[in-house]
Amino acid sequence: MTARSVIDVSRLPSTEMDHRSPIWWGNNLLLVIETTMFGLIVAAYFYFRVVDFHQWPPPRSSHNPMMLVPNPALTIPTINLAILLLSCFPAYIVDRACFRKQSVVVTLNLLITIALGMICIGLRFLEFKSLQFRWDENAYSSVVWTILGIHLAHLITGTCENALMAAWALAKGLDAKHFRDIRITTLYWFWIAGIWVLLYVMIYWFPRW
Amino acid sequence: MTRTSHLQIRDFKGDIPRADAEQLERVWSRPKGLLGWLVTTNHKDIGKRYIVTAFIFFLCGGLLAALMRLQLMKPENSFLGPDLYNQFFTVHGTTMMFLFAVPIMEGMGIYLVPLMLGTRNVPFPRMNTFGYYIYLLGGILLFVSLFLNVGPDAGWFAYVPLSGPHYSPGKRVDIWSQMITLTEIAALVGAVEIITAVFKHRAVGMSLNRIPMFVWAQVVTSFMVIFAMPSIMLASGVLAMDRLAHVNTHFFNPAEGGDALLYQHLFWFFGHPEVYIIFIPATGFVSTIVETFSRRKMFGYLGLVLSLVSTAFIGFGLWVHHMFATPVAELGQGFFTGASMLIAIPSGIQIFCWLTTLLTGKPQLKTPLLWVLGFIALFVLGGLTGIMLASVSLDLQVHDTFFVVAHFHYVLIGGAVFPLFGAFYYWFPKWTGRMLSEGLGKLNFWLFFIGFNLTFFPMHILGLHGMTRRIYTYVVESGWGNLNLLATIGAGVMALSVIVFLTNVFVSRKSGVIAGANPWGAPTLEWGTASPPPPYGFLYLPTVQSRDPLWSDKDSPVIVGLSNTKREVLNTTILDAMPEHRYELAIDSIWPFALALAAGGSFIGAVFNAWAIPIGAALSFLVLSLWFWRGNEPKFLLEGIQHTPSSPSHPSKRVLEETPA
Repeated sequence: MTARSVIDVSRLPSTEMDHRSPIWWGNNLLLVIETTMFGLIVAAYFYFRVVDFHQWPPPRSSHNPMMLVPNPALTIPTINLAILLLSCFPAYIVDRACFRKQSVVVTLNLLITIALGMICIGLRFLEFKSLQFRWDENAYSSVVWTILGIHLAHLITGTCENALMAAWALAKGLDAKHFRDIRITTLYWFWIAGIWVLLYVMIYWFPRW
Repeated sequence: MTRTSHLQIRDFKGDIPRADAEQLERVWSRPKGLLGWLVTTNHKDIGKRYIVTAFIFFLCGGLLAALMRLQLMKPENSFLGPDLYNQFFTVHGTTMMFLFAVPIMEGMGIYLVPLMLGTRNVPFPRMNTFGYYIYLLGGILLFVSLFLNVGPDAGWFAYVPLSGPHYSPGKRVDIWSQMITLTEIAALVGAVEIITAVFKHRAVGMSLNRIPMFVWAQVVTSFMVIFAMPSIMLASGVLAMDRLAHVNTHFFNPAEGGDALLYQHLFWFFGHPEVYIIFIPATGFVSTIVETFSRRKMFGYLGLVLSLVSTAFIGFGLWVHHMFATPVAELGQGFFTGASMLIAIPSGIQIFCWLTTLLTGKPQLKTPLLWVLGFIALFVLGGLTGIMLASVSLDLQVHDTFFVVAHFHYVLIGGAVFPLFGAFYYWFPKWTGRMLSEGLGKLNFWLFFIGFNLTFFPMHILGLHGMTRRIYTYVVESGWGNLNLLATIGAGVMALSVIVFLTNVFVSRKSGVIAGANPWGAPTLEWGTASPPPPYGFLYLPTVQSRDPLWSDKDSPVIVGLSNTKREVLNTTILDAMPEHRYELAIDSIWPFALALAAGGSFIGAVFNAWAIPIGAALSFLVLSLWFWRGNEPKFLLEGIQHTPSSPSHPSKRVLEETPA
């Protein structure tokens, strides 16, 4: 038996809460994929605007009387944006409380985030009406419906994920690993809200610009 | 770093804390039998499965190519009708790109990267398994549709308006588009696995400048996948929406403001990087093989790494050169011509680095190196026609002719399949513990090399003579008969070569020479463990002090203190690969398979009805919840699965006879 130097790692921590954890990277890479997806569909939106349409949005001839400037309505979408941004506060408290391992604070604020998320989802269905067009009327309506639809899918996914985490917290309690997982889901929620700010400006304000 | 206070670096005499091979074997093995096969999350199982599956698709795609060559063998041939020919060339191209080239490169990465990094598995083992099954479903979908005579027939790129609802009624294009979604999900999943593994699971000491070239190639490719694949998923997804009854969007319908050229932009924004997604892993094979068989350290490591990275960046800036026959502004033409020519610079740097390494080393002409030399010759030829095609005026002349077919088969077969065969010969001993026959290997190579050139070189000339792509026959007066006959004979020689390869594999698997851990005397970590490697990879996780640890490192310390009772690996810091924390990986599970069925069923259902998507999404969420809810495996599957509750990790006290690896 020869002498051999070793590095003993048994006293290293077994969970990290931040970018040191592989799951943080996995989640963020998936968000990079999703951001690329949105980037491309935004590119398609402007491509249509520049190449294929003289007027944006196009006049709505299917409506009687004909609508010459059918800009998307602002009220519900703006309220919805505000609620989505508001939901980031409890999500932020969840995130901070995960570091301090405060199970009750985490669970409570997670439930508030879920409730606000569900309101956003409900309002989003009304928001489609604000667009003035059905999805199958022209390329403009197809692209804006698709953007809203994909983002709605993220809202639903994010809320379902939050609900799953809350269910685990209520049923099983939280250990370090699940505090970390909850931090990752709040990161996803911040992304959902953040990217919507940009998309909201594009969909609702760019045509007015 | 404060972390170092947790670390103890000690010299042991004789009684170091022993890793326990039996215990590790129990913890890391998959359950027995068919169910074990279904639930495995071992990267070596999944990697091998990717490689074998993709190779079977390569054989299927090759068979279709052979049938097309038989049809084109003589003028006015009636062997295949126009409809079947359309299906064959579409399914051939689709198979080779989506079911063979990308997945096999990724499969090689999934098998080899964790071993080269000196770790035990990929960071998200269940997601990895899910990726494989969803890929398999995509492949099955395509070939089932072909056998039912509803195979896609609008080309591997499915351009609108041909692929739109007006010109392609029926379900053929929808099948193509959902097949895309399934296989690209798999590609994206694999890319996330590889990047995260490379960021977090590297052996202690493997700082950025010590990462093996193959791993660099894989990580650069994975980043390209992440930015390229969403584009094709979007293009094929909205194409399906345009086509689907009751959805009927107008993305590509000019009558309602849609734009057919937008489809081409989205397609080629993926399609051109795709070429590099296939080619860059191949350069990883080449660098690895060149280094080992030159018996010297790689010349120009930094240049090679920077070439890969710059190829990846430039690769995203030249997609429009596929669209020179569409109205592209002159400034755009100039830009994309320039960018296309620019890519020759990093490619050239790589070629010169490899040649220098070979010429200043002591090259051993074993079969893997032979394939690499073949690669260099053919890739340079393909690259030359590539530079020609970057010129707009020439491109317009030969657009949609066999000249282009010749060009991209030289770069794709020459640039990726030759290195891949080299890689098969090189790593086969690691996978199976036995060597492939050198004699059959050389026969395999020469038949393939000759057959390849016989098949594809005449196509340059046919293209210049005006023979267009995707035609199922041609008239006698065209005078193209002889060269086509030559190409068909060449295809026969290639088929013979592949039969030699398969024979070699089947014979050598049973009776090849026993390889041992490191038959080639190679420098990278995967050769530092047994062939084939045990399920846990390494008895002790290794550390490295140089780029070629098996050549240069003497008495590197090994890692002790990881759990023997759960699947635990070591995370290291991103830049310097210093020890950071321990990380438990998930155990084997049925849920990845179930998720693939739910998600795959959803997309396949969407061929027929849009409601399949929300229903499939709900089912998928249900499966994911069960997946997340730990310990919720069906009981009958848990037979033999090691599921141990979290317990404080401590080095095992059991002493084994063998010395650390």
